[in-house]
Amino acid sequence: MAERLFELLFKYRPVVFARGDLVFAAPWPLVVVLVLGVLALGIGVTAYRRSPAAVSARARAGLLGLRIGAVAVLVFCLTGPALRVSTIVPQQNFLGILVDDSRSMRVADGDGRTRGALAADVLASGGPLMRALGERFKLRVFRFAETLGRVDSVEALTFDGRRTDLTEALAAVRRDLATVPLAGLVLVTDGADNAAGVLADPLLSLAADGVPVHVVGLGRETLEPDVELSRVAAPPTVLEGTAVAVELAVRAAGYEGRRVPLQVEDEGRILARTEIRLPATGEPTSVRAHFVATEAGPRRVRFSIPLQDGELIAENNTVEALITVERRTERILYFEGEPRFELKFLRRAVAEDEGVAVVTLLRTAEDKFLRLGVEDSSELASGFPRTRAELFRYRGLILGSVEASFFTHDQLQMLAEFVSARGGGLLALGGRQAFAEGGWTETPLADVLPVVLERAVRTDTAPFFAEVAVELTPAGRDHPALQLRGGAEASAARWDSLPVLSMLNPVREVKAGASALLLGRGPGGAYVVLATQRYGRGRSVALPVQDSWMWQMHADMPPEDDTHEVFWRQLLRHLVADVPDPLDAAVSVDRVEPGRPLTLSAEVADSGYVRLNGADVRATVVDPAGGEHDVPLRWTVRHDGEYEAAYTPSLAGRYEVRVTASQRGQLLGQATTYFEAGDVGAEFFGAGRQTGTLRRIAEETGGRYYTPANLRTLPEDVSFTESGATVVEHRELWDMPVLLLLLVGLLSAEWVWRRRRGLA
Amino acid sequence: MESRAVSAVAPPGRAFYFTRAVYSDYRSRSRGNWSTDFPKADRQFLIGLTRLTGIDAYEREHPMRLDDPALRRYPFLYAVEVGAMALTEAEVTGLRGYLLAGGFLVIDDFWGSLEWANFEREMQRVLPEYPIVELPLDHPLLRTFYAIEEVLQVPNVWQGRRGGPTWERDGYVPHLRAIADDRGRLMVLINWNSDLGDAWEWAEDPYYPLPFSNYAYRLGVNLILYGMSR
Repeated sequence: MAERLFELLFKYRPVVFARGDLVFAAPWPLVVVLVLGVLALGIGVTAYRRSPAAVSARARAGLLGLRIGAVAVLVFCLTGPALRVSTIVPQQNFLGILVDDSRSMRVADGDGRTRGALAADVLASGGPLMRALGERFKLRVFRFAETLGRVDSVEALTFDGRRTDLTEALAAVRRDLATVPLAGLVLVTDGADNAAGVLADPLLSLAADGVPVHVVGLGRETLEPDVELSRVAAPPTVLEGTAVAVELAVRAAGYEGRRVPLQVEDEGRILARTEIRLPATGEPTSVRAHFVATEAGPRRVRFSIPLQDGELIAENNTVEALITVERRTERILYFEGEPRFELKFLRRAVAEDEGVAVVTLLRTAEDKFLRLGVEDSSELASGFPRTRAELFRYRGLILGSVEASFFTHDQLQMLAEFVSARGGGLLALGGRQAFAEGGWTETPLADVLPVVLERAVRTDTAPFFAEVAVELTPAGRDHPALQLRGGAEASAARWDSLPVLSMLNPVREVKAGASALLLGRGPGGAYVVLATQRYGRGRSVALPVQDSWMWQMHADMPPEDDTHEVFWRQLLRHLVADVPDPLDAAVSVDRVEPGRPLTLSAEVADSGYVRLNGADVRATVVDPAGGEHDVPLRWTVRHDGEYEAAYTPSLAGRYEVRVTASQRGQLLGQATTYFEAGDVGAEFFGAGRQTGTLRRIAEETGGRYYTPANLRTLPEDVSFTESGATVVEHRELWDMPVLLLLLVGLLSAEWVWRRRRGLA
Repeated sequence: MESRAVSAVAPPGRAFYFTRAVYSDYRSRSRGNWSTDFPKADRQFLIGLTRLTGIDAYEREHPMRLDDPALRRYPFLYAVEVGAMALTEAEVTGLRGYLLAGGFLVIDDFWGSLEWANFEREMQRVLPEYPIVELPLDHPLLRTFYAIEEVLQVPNVWQGRRGGPTWERDGYVPHLRAIADDRGRLMVLINWNSDLGDAWEWAEDPYYPLPFSNYAYRLGVNLILYGMSR
């Protein structure tokens, strides 16, 4: 509307003014014009000087000003003003038209019509736009999705591309049309790029060549109504039988507050179902899905929300993650400094768990140890490990009620390195000789623990003792280790009703960066009952209560209740989750389109967990047809012990990646990981129109941004270009309606004023 | 019913309480059969226990009734003279729940086939689905702290001092028997035809034979460490 008004007043559209230079091209010399102007002014000034004295000086000045204005407009017209613009020579230039052929173009967010249908309408052969463009240019139509290709017309598009790669499309079209006079490009897309390319590169190149990209944005920025599940954050590897928490981002528009089920499936088998509340439009929220990984092997776990009424995209209600469920036994060393029932019941709780083996070393008397669950007679034969290799065999370490002075300085250092360097999980239990009461405050382990230890313990008062009622913190409510049976709400209710526990260590504060998962309310206020943090490569957990076994023994606990078992199984699995091996293998993505590369990576260390850079690391990639491909991995130089290689799968299906590392002929380790090649469905996520990106493409290359509603001017706009074969035109300005209006307005105002003053 | 007056008042926070079972019986003793050798045996044994091991044990006796819900706080339980045991229904329920939840009961000082029959009948009421079996000599309990190679008959103080026969009634052969749960973990350990309590109680008596008190302490320590670790 504003543009039309502008054109009405100024004769041309703003784009002409923007692209043109102002010149004066009068057929007579400018001096003549100036002389005429001065003469006219002189007459005016003289006339007003002679006017009757009744006319005030102010009115005289005003009238003179109006006269000067009118003369100035006339003088301007007489100078022959014009805009000098470059326009294309008809049929001498090429115009590239790029049309998005990806699946996001199937989204029907244009009043019931798909973006593809809108594009087809706009660019229909024989339609007004194509006709107008065809009169000016030689047209080249391209489709693009993951790659770019020539098509005869937009009717040939199928909107079936699995990815949108704007960067590649712009670079490729520039290469394709490098040898012809290119006037510009017209890009018709929703802008939902999912290729993570560097868009700045082709834009800089196009801007340098003066090739403007005119962009036609399709679709709506916010898809409404729609529900989208995205950004699934799942652990790549878990132990069989482990409670897993997966974080998902939920985006919704038009269903605020609606409660919908979130279902977790493992290849058709329902693992969990929980109810979530959909967020308000434009406010992505994070939800957690909890389930137990029961089947061993690589599992494709699917998270889905049922299709809601009227949803624009069905495919983005489901998201998947490839999780390798491992059947193996994680060995955890439990060192207990004195006989106590916590040991008995902890061991009993996980005795049936095949995923964890608690190897126990119990100091029964001074220098006398009871070993339980050892593999052979030599294991722990001389007491607590004295070397790193001996300690680092274990993936987890539980420290019971044992005083810090039991350990040598080197052993204390080793305990800290068990977490920071080896990446193991350390659990510190409460007890008479634990935490500050056990003299741990000034030791290397104090840094590792997630809780703040008191500076000094008073020995002149009675030992601390408090009974605490345990409650979940918000972080604990979502933590996988604390999910009891029966779903999130039943679990939270169960926590509220558990018997009280007792503490001998008044631990009140968690460190910055640590999470308190359970608190205990006692007579002296709140205490930390369970806290956890990442430390170095590993994890530390503090449980400063001394009798979690009351959750098993207490008279209020029904005989069939398995809270105590579930708690310990999950806590110990949390302790050893993600603990590295000397060789760990990974893939950059768990699903990739066939023909697209992904990165295989490995981290290599020796038995003391010192990173190795000179190892021979090889991957054998087994494709879905059983073919084996040998891929050597190279040290990345960025980080010690990190190796990488690129691999491009060609077949669709599941790939197995077996990595081995060796040094000087000695095998350091073997690891297996998986990925899948197939449709990643990327087009259905984040499929709203990316106006910001599209405007940037237009602005950085000197083009304009359009929507299907304001395309009328596109053919003319494209004509004003300095790229390709062009001619210079002069567009005259003297007959702009605005000048006439101005002149008439000034003279009329002067006449009316004169009349009122009796001068006319 | 005098036993009902007994209640444990012990300071909390210790790792171990030598808890003696207070139960109903059909004999008319002044304090009930449960209190045989009480509290001296308990105290003397605890002195030895804390000297020999690193257990943070409460130093005093700690009797508790079987129908007291607070019994669950003490997963080790010692009962004597069960030949005249006559449990009430509440005691049966309390003891059954205690054992199934993970408590460990040690039975001591009852002799001969008649007392066995009574005890067996009472245990049938508590754990009808679990059989009583002989404890093999290679059982881990007998290796937990001390290596015990044979089951000794520990006589009462009068016969021990006299050097007379070690048996009472027709209990000529000592037995270690047990009731285990479905996973083979002991719930009840039965020391039949033997009297550890007297050996603990009179360990300081120069006339009481050292091998018996020595054995009684060694077996007692093993019982407790087993009960605290398995």
